[in-house]
Amino acid sequence: MIGKNPATSCGAKYSSYIFRDMGNANDYLLTVENLKTYFPVKKGLLRRTVGHIRAVDGVSFSIRRGQTLGLVGESGCGKTTVARTIARLIPATAGRVVFNEVDVLSADRNNLRQLRKDISLIFQDPFGSLNPRMTVGSIIGEPLKVHRLATDGDLTEQVAALLSKVGLAGDHINRYPHEFSGGQRQRIGIARALAVQPKLIICDEPVSALDISIQAQILNLLKDLQEEFGLTYLFIAHDLAVVDFFCDVMAVMYMGRIVEQAGPEKLCRNPLHPYTRALISAIPRIGVSANCRLPIADCQLPIQKSQIENRKSKIPVGCTFGPKCSLAGPDCLRQPPPLAESSDRKGHFVACWKC
Amino acid sequence: MSKQSQERPNWGLSYGELVWRRFRKSRLNMACLIFVAFLLLLAVFAPFLASDRPFIVRIDGKLHFPLFKNLQLADYCIFLAAGVASLQLFVGSRRQNRKFRILSPVCCLLYVGLGSMLILAFVPRRLDATDYRALIASGKASNAVFPPIPYGYDRTNLELCRQPPSRRHWLGTDDVGTDVLCRLIHGSRISLAVGFVAVGISTIIGIVAGAILGYFGGKVDFIGMRIVEAVMAIPVFFLIITMMAFFPRSILNIMIIIGITGWTGSARFIRAEFLKLRRQDFVQAAISLALPLRSILFRHMLPNAIAPVLVNATFGISSAIFIEAALSFLGFGVAPPTPSWGQMLSLGVSTTGRFLWWLTLFPGLAIFLTVMAYNLAGEGLRDAIDPPRAGTALVSPALTGRVPPAVPGVNTAEGGRKTR
Amino acid sequence: MNGDDTILNFRFSIGNRRSAIGNQLSVEGLCVGFFTQACPEAGLSRAKSRGRGNGVVPAVQDVSFSIKKGQIFALVGESGCGKTATALAIMRLLPAGQSRVVQGKILFEGRNLLELSEKQMRLIRGSKISMVFQEPATSLNPVYTVGDQIAEAIELHQNKGADQAWEDAAAILRKVGIADPERRALEYPHRLSGGMQQRVMIAMAISCNPVLLIADEPTTALDTTVQAQILDLLDDLRKQNGMSILLITHNLGVAAQRADVVAVMYASRLVEIADSRQLLAQPHHPYTQGLLRSLPRLGSPPTGSGVERLQTIPGTVPEALHLPGGCKFHPRCRVGCADMRCRKIEPALREIQPGRWAACWRAPGYE
Repeated sequence: MIGKNPATSCGAKYSSYIFRDMGNANDYLLTVENLKTYFPVKKGLLRRTVGHIRAVDGVSFSIRRGQTLGLVGESGCGKTTVARTIARLIPATAGRVVFNEVDVLSADRNNLRQLRKDISLIFQDPFGSLNPRMTVGSIIGEPLKVHRLATDGDLTEQVAALLSKVGLAGDHINRYPHEFSGGQRQRIGIARALAVQPKLIICDEPVSALDISIQAQILNLLKDLQEEFGLTYLFIAHDLAVVDFFCDVMAVMYMGRIVEQAGPEKLCRNPLHPYTRALISAIPRIGVSANCRLPIADCQLPIQKSQIENRKSKIPVGCTFGPKCSLAGPDCLRQPPPLAESSDRKGHFVACWKC
Repeated sequence: MSKQSQERPNWGLSYGELVWRRFRKSRLNMACLIFVAFLLLLAVFAPFLASDRPFIVRIDGKLHFPLFKNLQLADYCIFLAAGVASLQLFVGSRRQNRKFRILSPVCCLLYVGLGSMLILAFVPRRLDATDYRALIASGKASNAVFPPIPYGYDRTNLELCRQPPSRRHWLGTDDVGTDVLCRLIHGSRISLAVGFVAVGISTIIGIVAGAILGYFGGKVDFIGMRIVEAVMAIPVFFLIITMMAFFPRSILNIMIIIGITGWTGSARFIRAEFLKLRRQDFVQAAISLALPLRSILFRHMLPNAIAPVLVNATFGISSAIFIEAALSFLGFGVAPPTPSWGQMLSLGVSTTGRFLWWLTLFPGLAIFLTVMAYNLAGEGLRDAIDPPRAGTALVSPALTGRVPPAVPGVNTAEGGRKTR
Repeated sequence: MNGDDTILNFRFSIGNRRSAIGNQLSVEGLCVGFFTQACPEAGLSRAKSRGRGNGVVPAVQDVSFSIKKGQIFALVGESGCGKTATALAIMRLLPAGQSRVVQGKILFEGRNLLELSEKQMRLIRGSKISMVFQEPATSLNPVYTVGDQIAEAIELHQNKGADQAWEDAAAILRKVGIADPERRALEYPHRLSGGMQQRVMIAMAISCNPVLLIADEPTTALDTTVQAQILDLLDDLRKQNGMSILLITHNLGVAAQRADVVAVMYASRLVEIADSRQLLAQPHHPYTQGLLRSLPRLGSPPTGSGVERLQTIPGTVPEALHLPGGCKFHPRCRVGCADMRCRKIEPALREIQPGRWAACWRAPGYE
């Protein structure tokens, strides 16, 4: 059983259920341009807006069809907000998102319905992402019915097919989520995301809440599904090692901006941005001593506070990593650096004045 | 897969079934439930238990069925309602079977249709005031089969008034000679009706209002909450008494007023739950899959938010019963001869100045036991829904929402870990 | 590994430059059970009727290990394997109505902690053995300032006055690396970031200079960079005060980098104990081997999409009520699922080399 995933071995029985993204493999499926999401801070009796939390502050990237982009960062950097803004669960403040040549942020009702079918989400918390009152069959079957992907007759069959694709037995249909373990619930979540036959799946930290051995199984499952159905992934995580294994392109975020973007082997072997270098050296690695760690100047402001912009502005106007950076110079604190391709490394983008 | 679960491939205990199992475990809960069921039976079958019209009587050689002929409209309505409710309960416990799911609405419609036809056919146009007991005493009728308590709640008998409990009248008679036990049984109808109808109205209004406020949030929520607070400031009791001056004194008016002033508690509960649920991942998932709004509200959010409202409803029933009793005691409730427990209490101090203890004790005991039973059942329900979670430190996954907590050590084995 | 001579005769270990003399703590044959109303969601009838004896679920079975003075001992395992239960058993913090220490001994400073009265235990908890929990946000009382909470522990255990305790609290906050401690001590927990909250927890734990610190997944809820800082802090404190640390974690990387000795738990039993470098270079138990293989490594050879997969351990961790007979890991073990001995007889934890224990029939040197 080692290395073999139960998903592909059961797939043959339900071969009529295979869908595949038939587009051109080299096109950009998703393009994000200068996306900004600000949350207003309201104070006072009349709830007046006194400032904004800049959760996402000008993020741009694109993902080719069939590829995986990984967004990495620590908590509060805005990666989950990017995911939910693209899925139109949170309203964007500015920017443009183009999916399959359709403008996502200004789509009307009909287009939005089709978009929601093409972009689906996998959530982080296996315990909160499934409705505890509905059976597994209803959870997966309802999207099938709503989007008219299955008739009443073959609904059970299709749901059973989906369950077996993700490695669960088909007779689990009438069970409730609380009867499953964390890893199994995550599989149900994946089946639900797959049910609408999406082109892009946004995985919002799908393995962070799972144990190591289950993590590996779920990652393998996601890779198998990508191969079988030609899916594109936007993979969000805080664990660099997982993203290194899983993704074709990695982007590191810090305080709402992408600071470095490259393929995993380039980024992990030769990180350019000081934050990425500090992050990689802080990861407890097997076989690596703890002493060769790059320090981040311990700036002990709580993150939220330093993001609030108000009249007595305290946030750094330059590079957001400036106060903590050991390489910071005077021009780093004056203007935020753009994400630009490194002169001597092709395909490696970094937002730093000193690199 | 373990052998156990392979034997039962289709089982899935729904949340309702889990709650029922936990509720069943406590003997106190079951005792309260049995008492409430007993009261309901009393209320539904009151005319068959206590009436001065016999089931069968032979007059001049012919068989008559005076009891059945004289069932009132109210009785038929109650039978209909009880029938539909028990049918739903029966079907609900067999929801797995697909036939029943289709059968149920069909049956209900048939039942209601038949019932209405029967009502129209059989409800008497005139009140039959024959005193069958007198007829038997005088010998004109014979072979009569009376119900267990052969007295009517509207039959006065001034010779036997103000009698303490005796062999003939088990709980004594009141100041116009009516049997107390008979009035107690018929009075249970009023109390229970007030409880259920008032709470039903208030819960429905509360759910709708709370759902709107909780789902949309923002300005809608702000303005809505101010309205809720304004309604909460209205004193129910005095409003009812004021209404009595304008509207006819009927039990229905009382129920409606209690209902439309008591919805604020449910609304606040539902609003709080909806505000919480809006942020939950499964609701976000439902939105992201473009499920219709009505499905999100009623299929995804409402079943998860209903638990505190159910508990509130049981406490509401007991409080409605108490309000009605208080009103009747003060003389603002139902008009005689319709019996009501509160009204019976007020007769305890008679005009002659003697304290008739049996007129105070038995109705008072009935009110006390009923209110206590509902309150205890409500607490039991609350504990069954959200059992006091012990040993949380040992249960690693963060269980949110209304999911019943796992037993420590079990079901936390694979994959569960606290998230950041 | 039954600790016959650990308390009465201090063992000098030559060549181990980090530890000093003797064992700080010695656990022998600890068994902890949880009471369960055999849950209906597992579809079982009452555990009683299944002959499992009053519905007791084994959370910790036959766990024995010892921690030397000044050592960092890591207890690694996935969720539900019993590591937190072990820690709580040592601190005697297991909930009384739902769990029970079925048997075993916990020897600390010449006494069996399980036999002490609650009053005696309260003198030890906090001052000799203290604990840091996983979620700092929920472990700190939100209605008291941070300084109050630290000062309270000092006042109670060291019989100092309120002013003196407050000064000590500020000093300890400085020691754990919080800048401007006098001002920070006046803040409420929700105003601090996760890393700072965990530092405050650590400050509370070390305020009375304990000799053993139990850290139950102290960095799981924190970011990577903050995690590294907190682990550095624990290491520094260990060097300064000479205290031992029992580090409970599910992260093998953390255990490998920071601990001296690593013990792996699976399904309520210890399966392997070894020096951290030895364990990672050459794990003997198939579970440890599987775990190490299933971790994605940073900087490993590039994988295109669809080419490589992680090597997983097939199957899932068994439920506590359905533990298999024989070796608990055998249904998932590549070699053990066919071996009759692994299927029938439970291997006990044995010392296969000096300083290495394993519970596997096929481990070299086991028999």
